[in-house]
Amino acid sequence: MQDAIVATDRKRTAMREFTPWLIALGGFSFLPFILGPYWLNSAITGLFYVMMASSWNLLAGFTGQVSFAHAAFAGIGCYTTGILSAKLGLHPLVGLPIGVALSALLSLGLGALCIRMGGIYLSLTTLGFSEIVRIIIQNEYEITRGTMGLKVPFIIGPYSKTTAFYIMLVVAAAMVWTVYRIINSDMGLRFRAVLNDETAAQALGVPVMRVRVTAFVISGAMAGLAGSLYGHYLLLITPHIPSLDMMFHVLAMAVIGGLGTLAGPIVGAFLLEVLSEFVRQFSDKYHVLVFACVALVFARFAPQGVVGLVASWWRQATGKEGAQ
Amino acid sequence: MPLTSESVISFGNGNGFQAGPTACQSGGRAYYLRLERMPRAMEDLLLYVTNGVFMGTSYALVALGVTLIVGIMGIINFAHGEFYVLAGYFSALFARGVGLDPVSSMLVAVVLVFLVGLVVERILIRPTYGEEMYSLIITFILYIILQNAYLVIFGPFPSKPPSWVSGATNLFGMFYYGNQRLASFAAAALVIAVFMIVMHKTWLGRVIRSVAMDREMAAMLGVNTARVNMLSFGLGCVLAACAGVILAPVFPITPTVGVGISLTAFVVMILGGLGSLTGCIVGGLLLGIVENLGVAYLSSGYKHLFGFVILILVLFFRPTGLFGQKQL
Repeated sequence: MQDAIVATDRKRTAMREFTPWLIALGGFSFLPFILGPYWLNSAITGLFYVMMASSWNLLAGFTGQVSFAHAAFAGIGCYTTGILSAKLGLHPLVGLPIGVALSALLSLGLGALCIRMGGIYLSLTTLGFSEIVRIIIQNEYEITRGTMGLKVPFIIGPYSKTTAFYIMLVVAAAMVWTVYRIINSDMGLRFRAVLNDETAAQALGVPVMRVRVTAFVISGAMAGLAGSLYGHYLLLITPHIPSLDMMFHVLAMAVIGGLGTLAGPIVGAFLLEVLSEFVRQFSDKYHVLVFACVALVFARFAPQGVVGLVASWWRQATGKEGAQ
Repeated sequence: MPLTSESVISFGNGNGFQAGPTACQSGGRAYYLRLERMPRAMEDLLLYVTNGVFMGTSYALVALGVTLIVGIMGIINFAHGEFYVLAGYFSALFARGVGLDPVSSMLVAVVLVFLVGLVVERILIRPTYGEEMYSLIITFILYIILQNAYLVIFGPFPSKPPSWVSGATNLFGMFYYGNQRLASFAAAALVIAVFMIVMHKTWLGRVIRSVAMDREMAAMLGVNTARVNMLSFGLGCVLAACAGVILAPVFPITPTVGVGISLTAFVVMILGGLGSLTGCIVGGLLLGIVENLGVAYLSSGYKHLFGFVILILVLFFRPTGLFGQKQL
């Protein structure tokens, strides 16, 4: 009897926890009927950034490792599947898993190489790696067509923004769900143990290095998937995807939304995507500068991000402690 | 070897002359003259090594600033290259726009960058002490802000302060090497020497090194560690600025050169050992020479790749760098 009550209770809290997410997802799935092609494109780009920022947040927000190679892994994913489908005529759905696998493999190598040396080495090496990937892609003109960009086929069937939107929506939702499952599992507990106190975690028997490398590989694979899908949507992949500029966008979205929260990167991604559209109407020159200033203000004065600010404001307004 | 009448001298890819396979040209002009004489192999090697030593000294100078900040504060300054660029722009601005002579425009530029560094430390870095992640994020965002601000303010065109000297000197009787490069090399070596003397022989250097060695002990003995942090961040920026004003007459400044400078500095720092100043100098020279030989004999498109390959080899075989992770 007691057990049954606890179970229903748990189910009820779970329901309450998921309701806003399901409503948001439901709302999103109606977007193609409301938005014109221009804003639908923005929504798709926003979904790409949701994937990128969420997976980067898994690494930075939940294990405290700042990687600058996230855009590079997206680039590796999209160029792998892009080259396979454009040059060898493979179906994108066949190329996609290969791209993801290659991203995961390279992130395993990079992670195993530098994570044992500590956080600073990871950031330095990933920054270097990111630049190297971009340089190789730009220089290997015969294969990647350099800055001209490589034409790639659409993901599946004839080109349609609506199809692309739903594919991206499903994958993004699945990715956020995966991140949620990970951070609420034993592995997530280990992630946070490593984040809070590495020495204590090690003393309690958490294999710190393995946990860090695992997080790095998962996040790298997710970036690869996001990049490959986005590349097949854009139909033209350029070295902008593996650039530090892209990396900065992802970082800014996660920081502005709120590191270490599930909703943060999602809110940040859409907020910045919409903001970028408005700034672009004003002038194309300043939008990165504006983003960077906003991100700097958040990182310096409100490291908890928009989600954290809203949550604490909500707590104060309702006078409740411990509400999400 | 004396210059004989039948040896002909020319710039660049003139008739019968080679600029060599190196990509190191400044402003479209070859930086050296070569005498027409066979055999070439020895001359080539010497030329690449000379150039490697010049580049390596610049790398060491740039990397010393990052290493100082890492050694004292445990913070990576991703905006290091942007301070280099800022100093380059300042020196060009004061020399060409205001009309100061090269030396005073350089001094003004370095002092201004020092002040900027102090302000950045006080406002942005100090609140992140103990939170490595946020300091990384903040300096990375700072790098993006500065790069885009330069792009908006100065435009994408290369900017170059006037050269200090003109002409070229015959080195080893084999080739002519640009005087400006030699002067920049001498200036960089001088700055490195002065910095090392300050760090190892003066009271200020002892205080800074004591904080690097044991922060708590230094604080107990009456060192104001927060002040030392601020000062060493400023000094790190000064080293970047010195490199900027010394190298800007050789390599013109554009808004985007900062990333390359920072990355090179990081490679040198890891190569030498995080936080080791001596390692930094040796690592810089080593990288300069290897990169030049690599560009000459392997491929010029992948200049940055050589540094990265070295980085991976170091991380794989000797992760603490050549000189280990020892104190300043």
